[in-house]
Amino acid sequence: MSKDRVTIGLLVLLIFLAGCGDQRILERTGFIQSTSYDLLPNGRVKFSISLPKADPEIKVSREFLTTVALSGKEARIKLARETNLMLVSGQLRTTLFGLSIARAGLWDHMDTLLRDPTISEQAKIVIVNGDAHELLQKNYKEYPRTGQYVDRLVEKEATGHTIPLTTLYSFTRDYHDDGIEPVAPIVKDAGQNIVVDGVALFHGSSYVDKIKADDSLIFAFLRGNFKHGEISVDLTKDTKESKTAMLSSLASKRKVDVRHETNGRTTVNMQVSVKVSVMEYVGKFRLSNDAQRHTLEQQISEIMTNRAARLIKFLQEKKIDSIGAGIYVRNSMSYRAWKKLNWYEEFPNVNLQCKVKVKIKDYGFLR
Amino acid sequence: MQEKLSPFHVAILVYMIQSGIVMYRLPQMLAEHFGTNGWLAIIPMFLLASANILLIGAVYRLGNGVSILVILEQSIPRFILYPFYLIMSCVWAMIGCLISKHYVLIFQMVAFPTTNPMIFKIALDVLIFLLMTKSIYNISKATTVFFWMLMWMVLLLFFFYKDFHWSRLTPFIFQGSTLTIDGFFNVYSAFAGYSLCLFLFPYSDKKTKLIKAVLAGNLITAIVYIYFCFIAFGFYYYEQLKTLQFPLLNLLAYIQLPFVQATENLLYGFFMFSIIITAVMYFWSAKEISKRMFPISDRLLSAIILVAALGFSFIPDVISEVDQWLSYLGYAELALSLGLPLGLIVLLLIVRKRGAALNE
Repeated sequence: MSKDRVTIGLLVLLIFLAGCGDQRILERTGFIQSTSYDLLPNGRVKFSISLPKADPEIKVSREFLTTVALSGKEARIKLARETNLMLVSGQLRTTLFGLSIARAGLWDHMDTLLRDPTISEQAKIVIVNGDAHELLQKNYKEYPRTGQYVDRLVEKEATGHTIPLTTLYSFTRDYHDDGIEPVAPIVKDAGQNIVVDGVALFHGSSYVDKIKADDSLIFAFLRGNFKHGEISVDLTKDTKESKTAMLSSLASKRKVDVRHETNGRTTVNMQVSVKVSVMEYVGKFRLSNDAQRHTLEQQISEIMTNRAARLIKFLQEKKIDSIGAGIYVRNSMSYRAWKKLNWYEEFPNVNLQCKVKVKIKDYGFLR
Repeated sequence: MQEKLSPFHVAILVYMIQSGIVMYRLPQMLAEHFGTNGWLAIIPMFLLASANILLIGAVYRLGNGVSILVILEQSIPRFILYPFYLIMSCVWAMIGCLISKHYVLIFQMVAFPTTNPMIFKIALDVLIFLLMTKSIYNISKATTVFFWMLMWMVLLLFFFYKDFHWSRLTPFIFQGSTLTIDGFFNVYSAFAGYSLCLFLFPYSDKKTKLIKAVLAGNLITAIVYIYFCFIAFGFYYYEQLKTLQFPLLNLLAYIQLPFVQATENLLYGFFMFSIIITAVMYFWSAKEISKRMFPISDRLLSAIILVAALGFSFIPDVISEVDQWLSYLGYAELALSLGLPLGLIVLLLIVRKRGAALNE
């Protein structure tokens, strides 16, 4: 028995001694919470980090450091020379990419994020319409420290599906998938605050174009199923009776059907059925009247279908399959035929149709 | 009287021996060697392992449950047998040692990048020593406790349902890669370990239903593997799986709680339970064989084996080297798990024939 005690004692000693090896003292550690990348004209990368400060003696809420380097990790080494804290990336929440670097392609800079085992796959990727460094550096008086501000803003907007929530995981997953292209939220500085500017579209890992914030929910219909979401529909142009309707608690379901025509053309039919609650309606219809409500449903469906068609045309012009139609085309073919097909070139030629069907599930306290 | 193993304990023991470090890389290996829907490849491998277990079952039945070491010693002279024993015990001790070293190296990479991994390795070896000096009955009881501490993690796979897409699995089967024999056996090594049940013969009786229990353990392994890899293939596209070093760690890292980010550090610790059992059982088997050659006290023998293996494990000091060594040892282990039962069956048949001839 006493022998066992000795071994157990030794074991405990070993475990505690191991703690002396790699020390991480909270007060002396700088948790990088946000980083930004911008490409300079000379090909080097401007790299900035923002870390929250916990020191009560220092009045500022965060530390902001910036440097120019070839890569993210080289930059971290350079930045470490400027601070008394030990920089670690384990708490990285948001990575901001400026438009300059997004256009050139993100993949080279993703390597460090993916390889580093301390960085979570849930770290968000946000594109900045403009200079990411300037946005991160700026302090927005009425909001929390900028890194956290962007993080929370993007996260909140993503729950309403006005923008996709793009994490390291989802970006790399779509990057590797040959039937879909990655997307990311794009934000911009609006003077006093930061606003969501829409959805950035990528080919591979290079930024191509963006979808306006107003259209981003229609884009969400096309990209997949979701719950929660809000959209305001302008009815003045297309109908006589109604002016506007605000639809809330959207629940959207997408069905994709692929047909290969005898002439060699591929047809992709998307059926999107959306259930909504009407939160605001300005117009002549009485929503409690079944016939009138159905007319309204039809009108809204038509408007949405047209908007979706415009969006699809835009995507086909840009040759970017951000909605993942390729996944369904791939799954309808043999492996060899798919590998022979150059989906990037083929996507604009596909007959891609989308029909949105809106159903009002309730309309609030007014009849 | 010595207590015998129960079927439940044996099944769990086999599962715990089989699931080990290969699991961290299994989806990547399947994607690389089998391509699309690689998770399906687990089914034929499971059947192959089951067939191999049935072969062991034949030995068990032909030999009436007598220890295989006794069978060997009855008909083969010691001077031929002992070098063979030495090789076997070396292979198993080295596998046990390198598995724990591999675990420690990954642990060190994610949590303590600059600490000397051998400190953790020695700490783990102390635990292994404490367990392997106990009887197999006690080991199997400890295994049951460890099993539940590990099994709850299967529930974590619920986290991935939201980002799991059937369409990502693709309808193609085994496309986009070339299968090599090397690759096949690398993946098959995920099932290795069932051969250790050859040493359980003396510790089981009729009630143990040894072979059925081992088959059940093998089935648990297959189900866990299939479920886990199926989720992985629908969560990541297979092309991406090919690029990941340890998909299991990536999956664990994906689980995010509001207050902590690096959950994989926390959860990875739980895999120590399966590693300890795997290592203990390999060491224990090495000890069982060595006991026939060196009849000294159990504790001393265990300590000698552990220290010898530990000294040996200083040689490969990075993950890729350990991987390389483990794959060679894996071949040796597979050769043993097929060759040993076959040899034993031949031996038993010869003995039986000779016995019949003598009776006439």
